[in-house]
Amino acid sequence: MKKPFEVALGVVTSVGGFLEIGSITTAAQAGASFGYQLIWSVVLGTILIAFLVEMSGRFAAVSKHTIPDAMRERFGVNFFAIVLVIMFGVSLLTLGAELGGVAAALELATGISIPIWAIPVTFFSWALLWKTTFSVIENGVSMLGLVTVSFAVAAVKLHPDYAAAAHGLIPTLPKQDAAHYWFIAVSVLGASVSPYLYYFYSSGAIEEKWDESYVAINRLIAAVGMSFGGGLSLAVLVAAARVFHPANIEVQKYQQLPQLLSTPLGHAGFWLFVAALGIACLGATLEISLALAYLVAQGFGWNWGKDQRPSADARFSLTYSLIVAVAGLLSLVGLDPLQLTEIAMALTSASLPVGVLPFLILMNDREYLGEHTNGHIGNAVVMGVSVLAMIVAVVAIPLEIIGS
Amino acid sequence: MRFPLVAEVLDEQLVDVHDVKAGRIDGIVLEVRDGKPAKLAYVEVSPITMLSRFSRRFARWYATRIDRRLGPGRGVPFRIPWTRLAREGTSLRVDLDVRSTPIMALEDWLDEHILSHIPGA
Repeated sequence: MKKPFEVALGVVTSVGGFLEIGSITTAAQAGASFGYQLIWSVVLGTILIAFLVEMSGRFAAVSKHTIPDAMRERFGVNFFAIVLVIMFGVSLLTLGAELGGVAAALELATGISIPIWAIPVTFFSWALLWKTTFSVIENGVSMLGLVTVSFAVAAVKLHPDYAAAAHGLIPTLPKQDAAHYWFIAVSVLGASVSPYLYYFYSSGAIEEKWDESYVAINRLIAAVGMSFGGGLSLAVLVAAARVFHPANIEVQKYQQLPQLLSTPLGHAGFWLFVAALGIACLGATLEISLALAYLVAQGFGWNWGKDQRPSADARFSLTYSLIVAVAGLLSLVGLDPLQLTEIAMALTSASLPVGVLPFLILMNDREYLGEHTNGHIGNAVVMGVSVLAMIVAVVAIPLEIIGS
Repeated sequence: MRFPLVAEVLDEQLVDVHDVKAGRIDGIVLEVRDGKPAKLAYVEVSPITMLSRFSRRFARWYATRIDRRLGPGRGVPFRIPWTRLAREGTSLRVDLDVRSTPIMALEDWLDEHILSHIPGA
């Protein structure tokens, strides 16, 4: 009885926790600028993150190691430091964008500007981390995050052209604005496969004491949860393709985004959007802060764990406190969350192989996984897509900057 | 018995007698003896040793300017005799209470000077 419940819970939290400011804005920009043409990038990103999440859960369940733990052990402190610095930089930008997303939702609701919300939002996020346990964070916020299902309702009510949408599953070259097209494509990928997601997942599996009996459950949660989650990203793209694209409106400000839900659902849609953005970004804020603190604590061999009192793991608790504070500063100085998101997502794509390739080496190491090492398909998909994403991102980012 | 030091000892997680995570093995010290084979003497658990794997100069600066101020026994790498370690599962277990060693000086300092002033800690 316990395990079916865990599967259901895992799937629900994956769905509720999938969308955040990165996936909402990049999917909306993709739909607004290119209609259904970039649907393939959402699908590719979803397949990639499903593979990575499955791998990180399997790795934790079988080897009893988290990813940072094994990375330090297997590759030494010098290599670990490179991964730490790059992941830290990119994830801090993403965290700044997520905190900005919560503040943006509050600005939409109250009219009071983002920098004024920055301090209360930062403090509230920190207080949640400080006072609550891991399961409250993972399950509670993700359950509330199910409000993002309203994007699926909106997409259906907007009566999309399903045949045209199906054509978007196959990558095609754009007729114009190629640099922007590829920039958005890698941003969508970056939003789906942020490394903090699967690093966080492996720490969660260790906190919940998974063993080899969880390998099959983990596969089910990754496949079903990520598919439904990716479906919500698709819904955002489809809604944007119906609301913005026909009128040639590009998404340049987050204030435009509530139209995704208010066009099909009226005034209630506006408030649903505010709730969806606020809750999804708050969930991501908590997850990224913890994921980065896990990265540091596990890499240096400190005590870590979200189910103990902060004073039991002083270094760990102060690390996430400092991380939230630094990210809060990005909102406080008035950085636009939409621009911050664009930069963070593209840089995530550009740096994908840094986190992914050493992880793949670990996933093929029998010392850690015994008979549960990766198959050829998993290796090929993850390696191929992450290297391609990096190459396209390295070309597209400068072109986008020059173009804008 | 053959024992690959870099693969199986360096950078491994250390846990103490109470299951407290005691840091990672940052360095290995061999004792070179006249006319006899070198002997594995100690492992070091210290940010000083870890930093010296990047830059010896920076490690020296850190040792004298920062680490030394963290309390008694700090400012030099903390050494654990090899004989006090045993392999256990995914970690190496050390037969001492790490809370009574300089390894936890930073943890204790933060707890005493910062966390004790924050409600709910």
